Amino acid sequence: MTASLSIISLSHWFGSFKALNDINLEIEAGEYVALLGPSGCGKTTLLSVLGGFIKPTTGQIKIGSEDMTYVRPAKRPTTTMFQDYALFPHMSLRDNVSFGPRMAGIPSRERYRLADEKLDLVGLKADGSKRPHELSGGQRQRVALARALAVEPQVLLLDEPLGALDLKLRRAMQDELKDIQSQLGTTFVHVTHDQEEAMAIADRIVVMNAGRIEDVGVPSRVYREPATLFTADFMGEMNHIGLRIENSKVLTSFGLTNFLNLPDGAGKLCFRPEALRIDGQGHFLGEARLQDVTFFGTYTRARFASTDAPDQILVAHLPPTHILKTGTVFKIHVENNAFCYFPDNIEN
Amino acid sequence: MRRTFSWFYLAIAFGFIYLPVGALVLFSFQEGGLPVPPFNGPSLKWYGEILSDRDVTSALFHSLLVAIGSSVIAVTLGFFAAYGLARYVLPGSAFIRALLVAPLTVSYLIVGLGLLIVLTNTGVGLSLITASIGHVVINLPLAFAIIYASMGAQHENAERAARDLGANETQVILLVTAPMLSPAIAAAFFLSITLSWDEFIIAFLLTRFDITLPVEIWSMLRSGLSPSLNAIGSVVFLISVAVLLLLEFTVLRRQK
Repeated sequence: MTASLSIISLSHWFGSFKALNDINLEIEAGEYVALLGPSGCGKTTLLSVLGGFIKPTTGQIKIGSEDMTYVRPAKRPTTTMFQDYALFPHMSLRDNVSFGPRMAGIPSRERYRLADEKLDLVGLKADGSKRPHELSGGQRQRVALARALAVEPQVLLLDEPLGALDLKLRRAMQDELKDIQSQLGTTFVHVTHDQEEAMAIADRIVVMNAGRIEDVGVPSRVYREPATLFTADFMGEMNHIGLRIENSKVLTSFGLTNFLNLPDGAGKLCFRPEALRIDGQGHFLGEARLQDVTFFGTYTRARFASTDAPDQILVAHLPPTHILKTGTVFKIHVENNAFCYFPDNIEN
Repeated sequence: MRRTFSWFYLAIAFGFIYLPVGALVLFSFQEGGLPVPPFNGPSLKWYGEILSDRDVTSALFHSLLVAIGSSVIAVTLGFFAAYGLARYVLPGSAFIRALLVAPLTVSYLIVGLGLLIVLTNTGVGLSLITASIGHVVINLPLAFAIIYASMGAQHENAERAARDLGANETQVILLVTAPMLSPAIAAAFFLSITLSWDEFIIAFLLTRFDITLPVEIWSMLRSGLSPSLNAIGSVVFLISVAVLLLLEFTVLRRQK
């Protein structure tokens, strides 16, 4: 069971606070979409509007081709998986999972069969008679998933489902969610503030900030070629170089640079730490002194300060095999095509 | 030294609390006609006497009826009041809450007098029902306060989930909210029962022909002390203890 989702000119106010600002988004049937943003960006509000818990001030929600803007949660082909799981503590797992079918009037034998099937899907078939308090956080998470899927929704809405789990369990659950989603083909909309989680599971990422959509795209595109400066910074660490362009001459804190072809004005040149090279490959940027080095296992994080402008700090992720001495001056290169440029004076 | 003093203090404190009850129970087994030392017995003859006394047994039955009936009503009303105030944004909800709890501070005598005046002016005859109404008045604030205090946000999300899965409002309340709050509801219920069970003033003012046990005890007291009163008191005490133990072993244990 799956359906597409259309969000058309959606805005929502909480009193005088504009929580959602003219949201337009198309989600295809069977897609796994992550709504990503810092807390307070409106992602959870958007999910609540999709689930039917909040009636938007203006705008329209369509599921499939039907207008669902003012339809109550129970009547929508959506199910929400809540952040705190919201399991019924007084019911066994089997009763929890079969609650939806029970409300739909399915006889008990049939709905228990259905519940066992869903519990099996999440690997808890043997625990049907347990109560939620006997389970670990990760297991409760699975029960909540099984319960949401038992009503066979066309769209599953997940509100920070992995927020309460430790890192290792979170990675494992990400894989599992992804597997279950591709197995069922149901449309998943997943709210998170963790950009790694978003990149790991989503077909498409929707980056939100201050009630607006900043960027929409596949993870690699959003990471490598972010549409806005906010997205660039939110998706991961970013080096910023302020620059000014006059008469097609590009002036940076490293001096004149000639490999860029940009219109006149001022802006920020950005590139990821892993694009910085000290082995002479790529575009030459300038010279910088190594300030400190931190070992992170899979990479070494190095901080450089420009020799001409010591306030200009660059961060690099270098292979962990490099042994570097602080205080040394390096020639800094940046990989081809690794630059993004964001002009100033434009809303970024 | 200090340890001895602690134990001594503990013994004094408990003695102070339980000596009257102990004396009452002890002299209910008195052989003679007066519940005063010296103790001669033990004998169950006074228990036999009260259990064969129609007035006492019917008063006992009336008390149970009033206690259970008024508690059911008080807890039901308290639950719905708590549900409404915890789940919906109402204008002046703080004021409504205060108004609901305020009767706790009013003395039983005033509550009883007020009801008596209202009932005589409206021409409603005094009966066990009017006494039950009085007990609902005193128990509702307590039931409301206990249930309201246990309605947390975690329950609210479970209710939202139930609605999302297709439950209507009645199903949400019956299948999700009430069972989740069952410890608080049971605590409020048993507390209401014990309070109604040995309440005297309101029952005295608001009953006429059918009376509850405390009122019966009071009327027997007018003809002087007798070990049969001790026996009745012991039965009342025994039932209160039984309710308390039931509360302890069912509700409070489950919460752990």
